[in-house]
Amino acid sequence: MKQDNYISVKTFCKLHGVGESFVHTLCEYEIVQVEYGQEESRFPIEELPLMEKMVRLHNELEINPEGIQAIYHLLGQVESLQQEVASLKKRLEALG
Amino acid sequence: MEFIDYYKVLGVDKKASTEDIKKAYRKLARKYHPDLNPNDKEAEMNFKRANEANEVLSDPEKRKKYDEYGQDWQHAEEFERAKRSRAQQGRQGDRSGYTYSRTSGSDQDFSDFFESMFGGGGQGFGAGGQRVRFRGQDYNAQLQLSLMDVYTPQKQTLTVNGKNIRLTIPAGIEDGQTIKIKGHGGPGIEGGPAGDLYITFSIVNHTAFKRDGANLYKTVEVPLVKAVLGGEIQVETLTGKVKLKVAAGTDNGTKVKLKGKGFPKYKKEGQFGDLYLTYQVKIPKQLTQEQRELFESLEKTNLV
Repeated sequence: MKQDNYISVKTFCKLHGVGESFVHTLCEYEIVQVEYGQEESRFPIEELPLMEKMVRLHNELEINPEGIQAIYHLLGQVESLQQEVASLKKRLEALG
Repeated sequence: MEFIDYYKVLGVDKKASTEDIKKAYRKLARKYHPDLNPNDKEAEMNFKRANEANEVLSDPEKRKKYDEYGQDWQHAEEFERAKRSRAQQGRQGDRSGYTYSRTSGSDQDFSDFFESMFGGGGQGFGAGGQRVRFRGQDYNAQLQLSLMDVYTPQKQTLTVNGKNIRLTIPAGIEDGQTIKIKGHGGPGIEGGPAGDLYITFSIVNHTAFKRDGANLYKTVEVPLVKAVLGGEIQVETLTGKVKLKVAAGTDNGTKVKLKGKGFPKYKKEGQFGDLYLTYQVKIPKQLTQEQRELFESLEKTNLV
């Protein structure tokens, strides 16, 4: 993977006004994947939308990392249930 | 355009302190925040309302104006002009007008009521009003196609923010399905990557077929005599007519599967779903004298 495909944790935290420890805690809770290099820690660009979502929850709703971890898992369940409901609705329509 | 009671939206008293307003707003934001309510349009609406109420009530100047004119908001500008003119006559240099401008990059939608009273959108969500973005904004677009359009791959050119995007929509895309076009959203900030473009498809079905994924469903009528004695019927599929044999003694509601006569499977070239037919035995309503007599003869045979 090219260097451009990563975001430095330092840059991200500076721009979003969060401490680096916030990102490290998210990594510890297995919400995002951070690579720890000798010079700097970074994460893949694909993780950026998720990271920004977590920062919004933290900054805008004052939710701590523990709360974010719980929300992350619940949101995963909500989304999978929504998909299931949508697919069942379609099946019901087709059979109805 | 209706008056919006921002106090009611936040569920606070008119005498509520800034702290009360902040608290009430945070409570609603935690309930309706879009990140916590994926694909929930109602929550999104409630969130926008709460956001707008907060925008007005947490800003002393806006709150003052809102409180002053309340239900008479439509005349607010006239009052403001009259007030300014009176003030200028009395004392030169007293500037009491308000100016508001829309913050660029704000993705908040404000009601017509808000726009007409305050002119433009505010900073949007966030305690300090600072909403830093690194990655560009994601764009959402809707594309309506007919069921027959998506029977084959579709080449389309979309214009998003002045840029033409050519894309090939794979055959078999589903109604409500969203595809992501990477990097075609808003530009990033401070070297950040561009956002993505999300296209949600609305597939309009004008055909007689119902669709569930790659399978199609259709009810076909079978004449009573053919259902009893057996025979051949002609059925319309998406790709043309086919002849089917109906077995003697076919029950109403019998289901038949035509393998591979369904819809193309998404991203599986050359693979198709099945077509499920449900037979509906058609009972003749108008009989000739001769037909009636034949049925009466049948009845006499004690046919069950």
